[in-house]
Amino acid sequence: MTVPLGAYIAVSAVLFFTGCAGVLVRRNAVVILMCVELMLNAANLALVAFSRKYGSIDERGSVFVVFVFVIAAAEVAVGLGIILSAYRNRPVVDVDEIHQMKG
Amino acid sequence: MTFDFIEPVVFALLSIGVIAGGVAVVMLNRITAAALLMAFTFLCMAGMFVLLGAETIAAFQVLIYVGAITVLILYGVMFTKFSDSPRALFFQKQTPLAAIFVAAVAVPIVVVGTLSFTGAPPRAGGGDLPALATSVFTDFAFPFEIASVLLLAAMVGAIVLTRRDDPDEAAMRRRR
Amino acid sequence: MPVGPFGIDPFIWAPLRLVIAVGLALFLILNGALLQIYLERKIQAIIQDRLGPYHVGPFGLLQTFADALKLIAKEDVRAAATDGWFFVAAPALVFCPMLASWAVLPFAQDIVGTNLNIGLLYLTTLGSMTVLGIVIAGWASNNKYALVGGLRSAGQLISYEIPQILALVSVALVVGSLSMIDITRSQTGPFVNVLILPFSFLIYFIAALAETNRTPFDLPEAESELVAGWLTEYSGMRWGTMLALSEYGNVTVVCAIITTLWFGGWQGPGVDAFPLLGVLWFTLKVYGFIVVMMWIRATLPRLRIDQLMSFCWKGLIPMALVNIVAVATLALAFPNTLVPIAIANWLLVVVFVGGIPFVQRRRLASLRARARASAAPAVRAAS
Repeated sequence: MTVPLGAYIAVSAVLFFTGCAGVLVRRNAVVILMCVELMLNAANLALVAFSRKYGSIDERGSVFVVFVFVIAAAEVAVGLGIILSAYRNRPVVDVDEIHQMKG
Repeated sequence: MTFDFIEPVVFALLSIGVIAGGVAVVMLNRITAAALLMAFTFLCMAGMFVLLGAETIAAFQVLIYVGAITVLILYGVMFTKFSDSPRALFFQKQTPLAAIFVAAVAVPIVVVGTLSFTGAPPRAGGGDLPALATSVFTDFAFPFEIASVLLLAAMVGAIVLTRRDDPDEAAMRRRR
Repeated sequence: MPVGPFGIDPFIWAPLRLVIAVGLALFLILNGALLQIYLERKIQAIIQDRLGPYHVGPFGLLQTFADALKLIAKEDVRAAATDGWFFVAAPALVFCPMLASWAVLPFAQDIVGTNLNIGLLYLTTLGSMTVLGIVIAGWASNNKYALVGGLRSAGQLISYEIPQILALVSVALVVGSLSMIDITRSQTGPFVNVLILPFSFLIYFIAALAETNRTPFDLPEAESELVAGWLTEYSGMRWGTMLALSEYGNVTVVCAIITTLWFGGWQGPGVDAFPLLGVLWFTLKVYGFIVVMMWIRATLPRLRIDQLMSFCWKGLIPMALVNIVAVATLALAFPNTLVPIAIANWLLVVVFVGGIPFVQRRRLASLRARARASAAPAVRAAS
């Protein structure tokens, strides 16, 4: 008995909404970045699962996944750069306290 | 006795790992533990890719996520210090509202998603590196080039953002 | 499902086979580390004109065994302020990727753990997981020298992964496959890949020295720097695992990759008749490279962290990129023959090695000019 496609979609959806809840709920900017990575991973899982069922011979689903990897990596680099340079200005990483752009 | 029970058991274990890691990232107070459990989530995710037959994607997942992104986030955690004022709750003010909202959106989607895609994924594939590479470099050559430029822009941006001001340069700028 | 020898029930044989394989790999790693520690001390001793271990056993052969016994019997000293689970988990995080990479090393014609068709990609991936263990080790020790040492080592490792991967890509370009067995089989007889791609070999060798934290790139673990860097708080068998087993295991894996990709792997005289002879040739070639690495350790001084990073980013990576562009262009232009690629690669070696005096002379002149410009007037007048 193999695992049905719906099971993979369920795991992907649960992980995605966990990450989403994390972004809405946590106060530390680095943790918010981590939850965004979780969401991207969940999207990748859904892509690969669908690509296995409906995919074509030229692997378009997997190509999409590769590009998501690239964009996630670039986003983490720049996001951390932003957090660290804001931290150098005023040493807080709490998003409730840096929501004002002045100063 | 056949070995058919292995795939669902492995899937169950991996999915527990993935979801437990995700919940831990959201709920844990200690950020370093959260970062390591995020790496554990990534590893279990790579296992699920292998289970789906996409070994190349699994290798890239470990290489990029566990090998690079986790280290970047650990650097970020180590160089910043979360405020330890007495009011330092780790969750924002809107936690109960956010939880209700997410649950309200998540539960129907999970239920609908599970029930509408019955039937096993039929084809083993996605681990085929030559087909993937041919696709990337012929059909999707333009997005590939754009992705390279994006990575270059991200590198330059990260370096510029985190550069300390050279005191000689700042003095020159002030003199001008 | 594989039916085992003597007709063992496949249900028992499948997990038993896994246990035997892991046990065999562990056995090889442990004995390899034992042998390599002894070799290292003897070779350094010979080069430095002294005796090395000679007391325990004939020619000091049992010295490492005695050292291992001592390490196991040592008291487990753990500072109270270290970070609990992470401190204990870090040696495992450093050791396990290395253990996993033994699965794809081809020892002989049919003696390979598993012939993955993405073998090289798998090895690269495992190499990048070691960085995580080192960062965690530095962080968990709750010691600022360990933290800085860990971050420096992580920076070094992720920087030198890039020329490593670029060198491996050029070999995969020429061979057309990532599977280790295919790469070995593509080198027929004496025409091993080093005759075609010597520059990739040079780049990979230097990057591998940096990846395994060997001299001249062993700043993170040198005894005179940062009090042994990220290993500072580890003692006893934890240190043994991290340093001895993981590092020498990594060295073995890297030398195995070098032999497979550039020197024909298990091939040698007499292999067609007795396939098991391949194991002997493979081991001899791997240990040959390990001896060369130890020779380099005893000879060259250590690089500073900024020298090491600038060598990687301003030296190795541009050369590796030039290498890939040259190999790829020539492979497309002359698809049936490998001779132009070989010529281009040997030219690049000559340029790289021969260009060193010129680059050094220019750097020395610019350093002198900078020192003269910023020094005190007395020094300026003197120089």
